[in-house]
Amino acid sequence: MIYLDHAAATPVSRKVLEAMKPYFLNDFFNPSSAYLPAKKVASEYEEAKGKIAHAIGAKANDLIMTAGATEANNLAFTAVSPDGEVLYLKTEHDSVRNPAKRFAYQEIEVDKNGRILMDDLKAKISDKTELISVALANNELGTIQPLAEIATLIREVCFDRLSRGVKTPLYLHSDASQAMNLLDINVARLGVDLLTLNAAKVYGPKGVGALYVSHDVRLTPLTLGGGQENGLRSGTQNVPGVIGFAEALVNAKEHLNGNRKKYAEFRKILLDGIKDYELINKKHSLDNFVVLCFDGLDAERLVYLLEDREVYVSTGAACAASKGVRSHVLTAIGLSDSETNGSLRLTLGETNTKEQILEAVEIINEVVAGEKARIHA
Amino acid sequence: MPKVFVGMSGGVDSSVAAMLLVEQGYDVTGVYMKNWSKDLPGMKCPWAEDLADAKRVAVKLGIDFEVWDFEKEYHEKVVEYMLKEFKKGNTPNPDVMCNQEIKFKLFFEKAMEKGADFIATGHYARVASPSRLLRAVDENKDQTYFLYRISEEAIAHTLFPVGGMLKPEVKKLAKEHGLHNAYKKESMGVCFVGEVGMKDFLKEYIDIEPGEIREVETEKKLGVHEGAVFYTIGQRHGLYLSGTAGEVNDGLPYYVVAKDLEKNIVYVSKNLNDSHIWTKELKLKDVLMRGEAKDVLVRLRHRAPLVEATFDKDTLHFENEIKRPAAGQSAVIYDGEICLGGGIIA
Repeated sequence: MIYLDHAAATPVSRKVLEAMKPYFLNDFFNPSSAYLPAKKVASEYEEAKGKIAHAIGAKANDLIMTAGATEANNLAFTAVSPDGEVLYLKTEHDSVRNPAKRFAYQEIEVDKNGRILMDDLKAKISDKTELISVALANNELGTIQPLAEIATLIREVCFDRLSRGVKTPLYLHSDASQAMNLLDINVARLGVDLLTLNAAKVYGPKGVGALYVSHDVRLTPLTLGGGQENGLRSGTQNVPGVIGFAEALVNAKEHLNGNRKKYAEFRKILLDGIKDYELINKKHSLDNFVVLCFDGLDAERLVYLLEDREVYVSTGAACAASKGVRSHVLTAIGLSDSETNGSLRLTLGETNTKEQILEAVEIINEVVAGEKARIHA
Repeated sequence: MPKVFVGMSGGVDSSVAAMLLVEQGYDVTGVYMKNWSKDLPGMKCPWAEDLADAKRVAVKLGIDFEVWDFEKEYHEKVVEYMLKEFKKGNTPNPDVMCNQEIKFKLFFEKAMEKGADFIATGHYARVASPSRLLRAVDENKDQTYFLYRISEEAIAHTLFPVGGMLKPEVKKLAKEHGLHNAYKKESMGVCFVGEVGMKDFLKEYIDIEPGEIREVETEKKLGVHEGAVFYTIGQRHGLYLSGTAGEVNDGLPYYVVAKDLEKNIVYVSKNLNDSHIWTKELKLKDVLMRGEAKDVLVRLRHRAPLVEATFDKDTLHFENEIKRPAAGQSAVIYDGEICLGGGIIA
């Protein structure tokens, strides 16, 4: 098997699994229980949260642990008052677009690389805008957004509002799910007020995420109950999940530089070896994303043909593909229908070796050639 | 090479049908008919997964694949018909309508326009030259009950590649050829109603009023119902009956025997011999026959055994009493293994 879809899911690493195991077995206690063994679990849980927080330059108390990034994105939007307006980048994931659509919303346009158009953002901010959501790196293209620049603009807007006596707050939210393996994330440097993290994309368990919340943001809980996570996310803590997340994130952080180098090399092998394509994510992209357009071909057919050769790739976000709808991301960067249809996403990760990448080049070339021959027959 | 458009649903039968056509040397194009894509709250029609399954098979067979969107027409011709019939108190069969109006009409016509020599589906049925519809070899899977209203012109240009096979053979072939959907769970009934059932679907579309359940013999109120349209004559489940155990519930089940839609009353009876339930005669409407016969075999439900009857213009006469099927269902008429046609039970 050659797995080239690490943006969709990553395997739980051996180390992470080992770290989690005791909390399924001997240390299974509810952290809220009174006796000492439970207290110990509670303190190890807090310690794990502390590690996650530390990895992004925050404190344990700034994190609300959730059941994945989708929930964290939904929770972020509770910062908005009912009459507030929201802006999000046109290429955002559905877990941002759909909660945003509960409010008055506008989409911020992107250029052909998928980068935010700052002038469009400026033009769309009104005195009622309360939240701007821009993913640190896009999940279909890997495009990295200039969050610090956006944060600077937001600070200017806030200053201007205050000087005019307008009290509406304006927050910056970012989903960093895809970026955690390759970028050194620091909330202060990024200038975000809310940041979504996802264990499932960094070789941690699925169904575990976190929302970083800066001190001045007031959220409303979506899940009510026993008041865990500062009252913002009730429910017995997912201790093994959070322990695993911490382990995974610490590992990812340690390997940032090595990963970047390795993926840049693999990316070059793919781009040099594969024939007759157009590269879609030319600039500002994460090193492990390779989006190729085979114009005139149906990329979905390529996915099934590659599946037969045990090479696993995707046509876009897994959710979009399974719904049978055209990718809103590829449309947003100005691709035609035929280009969108012909686009294949390869995302590299820890399961890959150089030999695999060389083999993938051969197989992709064979499959593409075969499909072209079929069409012209 | 004759050109064939094969309707591919993502299921094992139509996948094997497509595979057999390719093996037989036809010029094959797979088509997924998109008939319904609306997600109702809590009810998900798995069309996108079905489409992906169908396409995967087409790709592995190396054939062209297209999606034909009949959603609007399906809504007009099938869904609206179905809702209209339910509102009248009948129990319609949407699959019969779908075959008549969509698969063997719109799909057929579009395929012909695109230069097809034939269409094909994964139905269990057979065609005898030039335009006779025959029951499938696998009696247990025979689907002519749902196909009896399709036109002779369509029959003459249709291939049923699995109609001569037994279901276990079809599954075996699928496995041997590495078609992944050999292991797929069989879909039952109408796609868009899915697993949740007709009642929950109808609740989304029909305004319903709770009403009384009465015993037919005594007019006595026994309980309440959620809306008369949900009840089918002959049905014994889902009756909310009140009253003391001794009075009402002596252990014998109640059956729905009649409905008064005007007054929104559902009538029930414990008497299994109630005249509403049994009959020796069935009057049909919208009769559609592709040939004549007097002494016939009749099927009153999909997979129900064939019953001997005599057919006279629009009425079926049975020697022994039969349990009366719900109005709106179909009676399908056979002469031996030939499916002659049938009609809707009035």
